Amino acid sequence: MTENVQQVEEQVEELEEIDLTAANEVIDKYIDMHGNLMPVLQGIQEAYGYIPEVTVHLAAERLNVYASQIYGVLTFYAQFHLKPRGKYIIRVCMGTACHVKGAGRIGDAIVDRLGIGHAETTEDLKFTAEYVACIGACGMAPVIMVNDATYGSITVQKTAEVIEKYKAMD
Amino acid sequence: MVNLTIDGKQITTAKTSTIYEAAKENGIYIPVLCYAKKLLPYGACRICLVEVEQMKGRLIPSCTTPVTEGMVVTTLSDEIRKVRKTVLEFLLVNHVVDCPVCDKGGECDLQDLTYEYEVVTNRFEGEKFDLPTDEVNPLIERNMNRCVLCGKCVRVCDEVVGYGSYSFINRGFETKIATAFDRGLNCEFCGQCVSMCPVGAILPRPFKFKARPWQLKEVDSVCGYCGNGCTVTLGVKDNQVQTIRFNEDTGVNHGNLCVRGRFGYSYVNDSKRLTKPLIRKGGELKEASWDEAFATITEKFKTAGKDLGIISGARLTNEELLLLKRVSSAIGTQNLDHSGGECYKGLTEGLKETMGISASTGTFPQVEKCDAILAIRSDFYETHPVFGMVINQAIRLNDAQLAVIADKRGKLSKLPNARTLIHKPGCEINMINALCQVIIAEGLAQTAGLQGITELTKALADYTPEAVAGMVGADAEAIKKTARELANAQNAAIVVAYGLPYTAYSKEIAIAAANLALLTGIAGRDGSGLYLCGEKANSQGAVDLQIIPGPAGLGAQQVLSTAAEGKLPVLYLVGEDPLVSYPDQTLVKKALEKTFLVVQDLFMTDSAKYADIVLPAASFAEKEGTFTNAERRIQRLRAGIKSPGEAKTDFAIFQQLLDKLQKTAPTTPAAAFSELTAEVSGYTDIIYEQIGAQGQVWGGETLVPVKKVLVPVAGMEPLQADYQLLVGSALYHSGTVSTRSKGPMSVCPEPYIEFNRDDAATFGVTTGEMVQLKADGVAIQAKVKVDNRLPKGVLFAPYHFGELGLNKIYKGQSVIAVEPGKI
Repeated sequence: MTENVQQVEEQVEELEEIDLTAANEVIDKYIDMHGNLMPVLQGIQEAYGYIPEVTVHLAAERLNVYASQIYGVLTFYAQFHLKPRGKYIIRVCMGTACHVKGAGRIGDAIVDRLGIGHAETTEDLKFTAEYVACIGACGMAPVIMVNDATYGSITVQKTAEVIEKYKAMD
Repeated sequence: MVNLTIDGKQITTAKTSTIYEAAKENGIYIPVLCYAKKLLPYGACRICLVEVEQMKGRLIPSCTTPVTEGMVVTTLSDEIRKVRKTVLEFLLVNHVVDCPVCDKGGECDLQDLTYEYEVVTNRFEGEKFDLPTDEVNPLIERNMNRCVLCGKCVRVCDEVVGYGSYSFINRGFETKIATAFDRGLNCEFCGQCVSMCPVGAILPRPFKFKARPWQLKEVDSVCGYCGNGCTVTLGVKDNQVQTIRFNEDTGVNHGNLCVRGRFGYSYVNDSKRLTKPLIRKGGELKEASWDEAFATITEKFKTAGKDLGIISGARLTNEELLLLKRVSSAIGTQNLDHSGGECYKGLTEGLKETMGISASTGTFPQVEKCDAILAIRSDFYETHPVFGMVINQAIRLNDAQLAVIADKRGKLSKLPNARTLIHKPGCEINMINALCQVIIAEGLAQTAGLQGITELTKALADYTPEAVAGMVGADAEAIKKTARELANAQNAAIVVAYGLPYTAYSKEIAIAAANLALLTGIAGRDGSGLYLCGEKANSQGAVDLQIIPGPAGLGAQQVLSTAAEGKLPVLYLVGEDPLVSYPDQTLVKKALEKTFLVVQDLFMTDSAKYADIVLPAASFAEKEGTFTNAERRIQRLRAGIKSPGEAKTDFAIFQQLLDKLQKTAPTTPAAAFSELTAEVSGYTDIIYEQIGAQGQVWGGETLVPVKKVLVPVAGMEPLQADYQLLVGSALYHSGTVSTRSKGPMSVCPEPYIEFNRDDAATFGVTTGEMVQLKADGVAIQAKVKVDNRLPKGVLFAPYHFGELGLNKIYKGQSVIAVEPGKI
């Protein structure tokens, strides 16, 4: 059983080698601010594209906040990501209007094409799919977004085309 | 005070009370799930909703609502009943109702409430959780399918323990309690979360499927490990201690316990316990009768007379120590001592010289209300874990400023408001002197009634913060800040721990601390105090009862060195294993070999193997009597089980010894206590039968110094060596007894040598690899543990493990120069 405890320790020890300079800079910037956890985490996410585990332990140590508490914050807010994300984020609107107009099939089409469902990322880190509530473009339902570009009145066929377009891009 | 009406009853209560507390005080029942007396109000579960006439139209959580003048409260009505039932229905939507196999069954708040509110059917339907059980660690099992999200575990781990294992993660229906990154629990295993959990979500693993709660006989006693004296409730079934439970309502230290207190009980039931007296015949220890053993011992003791040496442990009760003293005077020897003889000298010599007393001046509840605390040397979270929690409470509830003078960082350093003043090993006195210097130089000293201020001022001239900082590598500004805080605080505490691994300069450190306590007025001021906390459960009792050498007697160290020279005919060891725990193993070994050795213990200890007679003794769980803890609190032990085989309590053994020596002895611990109140100053007027759940503090909450003499004491030269080893106590262990307990051993099973990351890298070692330490030509080996709390060049090793042979190189010094090397 003690081996198990050691395993947990090793899990933590064996964290990926990540350059912590950027995370340290973010922490330096906010260290004296009251209520600095959110901006620190946002800053780290901006620098790394997601929140690597080592940076959580670093922030815990330097801000004197429990790692468990930081993890609680990270899992509470949808804005934080604990795994690396794709270069292109495909947001599939699942709001009422899109839902009625068949958003489910659009989601399925992405699964078919890229093999990724909600909150999943392709292995080559090119695409991440996200099912979101409403992106405020109900007039164009069903709608998807790829990063900042919006594609309205989309069909399964058109989804495939959009995916191909981004696949071809770097 | 505030007047209000609850259920038609007129109530007067404190302004700070909540409705729930006011009701509880007056015997009015309101159900709760998330409320706990020692935690801040939370209001998560909504079970305690009540009606308040002035706030008609909505229900109010009674656990978070403060009382106001003229409030009219109804705690139960049809409406309230309906709402509470609905809350329970919601909880039961996804709660797995696996009561038949749940260890909590029978004392589960959710089960009880479901029964009370007759939640037979549920109007709601939903998915049951199907989360894996966390059973990665050996002590605490977490089954989150049973969780009701009251958050008590999260809060106790933060507010009291200060470890922060848990947090709420995710949102909405998916909310659950988890550790960082939702891994298996890997913490200090104090089990505070176990005691808080109202349902079967967090359970003690060693107790799984051992007994239903109602089958347990509960016996309130005192923890047998350290000097905190926490109340433990023995859960007894089949003459075995099946578990240790906590007593939140009336227990000392709020029912808080640490890993040793809660999980370190299995040694009591161990099959390796000694059950019969053993006598060495033909070179081998053979089972014998008590009569034979007593006959030989009496004869040997009588022949030895004044040359008999007696070394006792500090886990005997006061009554047993009284009888031991009687034995020693019946024989006519003054060679009586305890706990290695050196470590307690801070009390018997240091405080005696400066303040004329030999005990801490305040109590733990007073520490909780302090606004400045100075911890010296030991990390209390390791040596006295529950005292660490007391300090944490002072910080959380009172925003106390904590300063730590230490040679390594520890958990205290991680608390909010903590300022750690790291210094070179062995130089605590220099640091304390610097604090005194600042207080005098800045005119902050309270000099009224102090003797020796001129001499001290002169002696401290060289201890300016700058000079000391330069010498021992601390920060001068931090020293000044700390000194000012201590001098200006309304209530302040200075806390020092002592014990077998901290024997060096114990007298000098105590004197330096006493100087500081006198200059700041901390000693003897109500609410403030100087605390010297002993390592063992009855360390303070042993000092109170003067288990120390008489004027012509030899102390423990001299007894051993005399024995090593072959000049001590008989040595009587009572509950001590010096071969493992005393400094200088070579000397101890020689001593044990050359003398006629009588050992009285629970186990065949390393020292007992050298014995000519071994007497089987009883553990704390088998004893009646009293312990005096580090805050002078006298508490009663109650026997939960019978001793195995023919083993006897130390009380019974001494009684019969006295009988054989034709001396009368008190027949019961109660009778012994009333005799000792006549002998021990401070204990007068305390009546055994009247010692209640909270014990009785001798000398009052604040012990006033008899005199106030400042005594200059010189600092130490830092040791010049590239690698320096600190010896100390590990969190999971206490003395050597805990190494015979499954709980502590399952999480800290073997000795280790702690390295900081840089040093580990220098030697190319990582956690788990073997390393060797050489000192004075002697080498010891152990596994490496890499951590980030030690300064560079400083190593640490715990002293509890016989197999490490740490005392081959530890000879009582504060720090040891070592040469580490990879094997």
